[in-house]
Amino acid sequence: MAKIVPRPNLSFWEQVYFVEIFKGLATTMGHAIRNLTGQTKFPTVSYPEVQYDLPRDYRARHRLMKRPDGSPRCVACFMCSTACPARCINIVAEEAPDKHIEKRPVRFEIDLLLCVFCGYCVEACPCDAIRMDTKLAVMAGDNRADFVVNKESLMEWKPTDYPADDTQSQKAPGGSLHAQALDEFKSGTYH
Amino acid sequence: MADTITINVDGKDVQVPPRTQLIEALRGPANTETPAFCYHQDLKVAGNCRICLVETEGPRGWALGISCHLQTAPGLKVRTQVSSDKIVKLRKGVMEFLLVNHPLDCPICDKAGECTLQEHYMGQGKHESRLDDAVGKQYKGGADHRFLDSKGIERGGKKIDLGPSIVLDQERCIICTRCVRFMSDVAKSPQLDIAGRGDHAYLTTFPDEPLNHEYDLNTADICPVGALTGKHFRFQQRVWMLKSVESIDPSDSLGANLTIDYNNSGSEGGKVWRLMPRRNPDVNKSWIANRTRLLYQNLAVNRLTDGKKAGGDCTIEDATIAAVAALKGAKRVAIVASGHLTTEDNAAVLALAEALGGKAEVFGGSWLTVGKADGIALSGDPVANRKGVELLGIKDNLDELVAKAKDFDVLLVAGNDLWSASAEKAAKLEVIPTRIALSAWVDATVAKATIAIGIRAWAEVRGSMVNCNGRVQLLQACPVVPNSQLEAAWSVLTALSKAAAKPLTWASEVDAWKSAQARGSAFAGMTYRSIGPMGQQVALSTTTVQPVAAGV
Repeated sequence: MAKIVPRPNLSFWEQVYFVEIFKGLATTMGHAIRNLTGQTKFPTVSYPEVQYDLPRDYRARHRLMKRPDGSPRCVACFMCSTACPARCINIVAEEAPDKHIEKRPVRFEIDLLLCVFCGYCVEACPCDAIRMDTKLAVMAGDNRADFVVNKESLMEWKPTDYPADDTQSQKAPGGSLHAQALDEFKSGTYH
Repeated sequence: MADTITINVDGKDVQVPPRTQLIEALRGPANTETPAFCYHQDLKVAGNCRICLVETEGPRGWALGISCHLQTAPGLKVRTQVSSDKIVKLRKGVMEFLLVNHPLDCPICDKAGECTLQEHYMGQGKHESRLDDAVGKQYKGGADHRFLDSKGIERGGKKIDLGPSIVLDQERCIICTRCVRFMSDVAKSPQLDIAGRGDHAYLTTFPDEPLNHEYDLNTADICPVGALTGKHFRFQQRVWMLKSVESIDPSDSLGANLTIDYNNSGSEGGKVWRLMPRRNPDVNKSWIANRTRLLYQNLAVNRLTDGKKAGGDCTIEDATIAAVAALKGAKRVAIVASGHLTTEDNAAVLALAEALGGKAEVFGGSWLTVGKADGIALSGDPVANRKGVELLGIKDNLDELVAKAKDFDVLLVAGNDLWSASAEKAAKLEVIPTRIALSAWVDATVAKATIAIGIRAWAEVRGSMVNCNGRVQLLQACPVVPNSQLEAAWSVLTALSKAAAKPLTWASEVDAWKSAQARGSAFAGMTYRSIGPMGQQVALSTTTVQPVAAGV
């Protein structure tokens, strides 16, 4: 069905057209003068020397969360690779020696060139094992293989780079809550 | 049975076969989804899970009954979840009890995706647990989730090694006894049983006895939950990532129906991950032997992916050119057909011999020893397509070939590993100077051949085989191939026919099948569509049928 769009009721001066053009130009020039004379802050920064602080929920490169003993939290359940619309996550599972865990990934690879950074893997993970809060928005490499990140590089992160209230990150080795979490882990009460 | 009776399901009259289990009538003609955990089409009825219950009208009014145990009778009136809220509520209650001790580890459970419990839970459960830790099996906590039985002895565990092929997760078991019934009634080797009573019941083998039977991996298939898992597939893949094609057992002449589960994604490229039994009530019911099930493990191992000539490796193309030249220059050619290849491939053997004219002679048969039928899913004859070769008119005359080996100067063996079957007899064939072997694997015959050409293995071709009971069954091609240059044997034989004055011009296996039909009158009128996934029986008058019984 066709949608009827009512014509705007223009006043005489609006119909003359030139007056409106100059009004628009005045707005543009006003902004230009204010910016050039330093009255407002420029929205651009001198990247890459200066970088924006990305918001917490920005979906950047993934990382794999760690247990207090440094092993990945991942149980290789394949939920992320099932949810992945780009099919960029490749997991090879094996039996874990720790009976609490049962299953663990031998390989966990993400092809960042295939990845569409939708965050479905983070949503799907039942163990909070994969996150996209690294704020690594720029990735560089010489060839395609450089963009396939493996388990080890996904686990290369420091708890000190994450806020103190991010308890899951702080329980990893080197974090502020690590000592206590490791005790719990050894006694079997850690979840 | 053509005659049917009328029963009334949810107020509607339905035509069903008489004296069958009501659950079959509901699932089939009445088109009403009915859950079941303990009921299995090919096992005896146990009736212990109670989830299939329905209301039926009897002399004392409407009463509850389990549809797996009730049988259809004329005038039977049934109410299911469609018309009865009581059934919905009761099934929910049954489900709640089944889930009392069941863990929520679906994300790491291998059964997830094909788990009956998961399916019906999603369908009708979704309730919160109203039971606390003090009830139930009184798990002792810890990684093993061991519990106390009625005598206070610690039992169970998350990973119990039952034997060479099966792992048991005691916590996931819902005591449906399908595996127990399978081992006692089908395998006829009661190695599993339920110990304890009521809430403390648990599945176990006999003390210090393992579960080791040629068919024990079937218990993992029929397990409605992830309690029994096969070691060969444990943690390998999630089942929803697999695609499947329908095929048959190529290592036994009963030709047990199975599916090839594969995927062709991931960093390793394609891979066949498992073989699963495919139900065919006339052939193997729902069972396949462990030996058959593990055949997929050979599909990527020791394959002849290229050609071989004059002792060195070469491309398939070069090997084919060398073979054509050898056939062209030959005075007498002996071609050996194979019961390990499809009927199409053997038709190509005959067509090639025909094209080569009077200088070629076809031999057939095998030196492999024939065992005994086990009455479940193996006939004991390792030559899967023996009957198909016979129906094409190829004789079992390998010994004749050995006797007059000196007459020939070229031997062409199509997928028949003569040297492995009997190195002693085959050694006499080494007087033939040029030996051409077509094989999917680097086997003993390839080692003795002067020219070898790689072909596709059974899982990678489309074709047909005839089982020992005269049933034509189809193999479908799984797209996972070790080398995309590989062709099916019929195609390679077609290429070899360039040595003849009038080469074969077959474009696909359908042409090969038409040629087979022209040679074997038993195949008249059959098409791939009419054979279908369940197979088609050849006319009894054309074959000597020695029936091999399928399982219970």
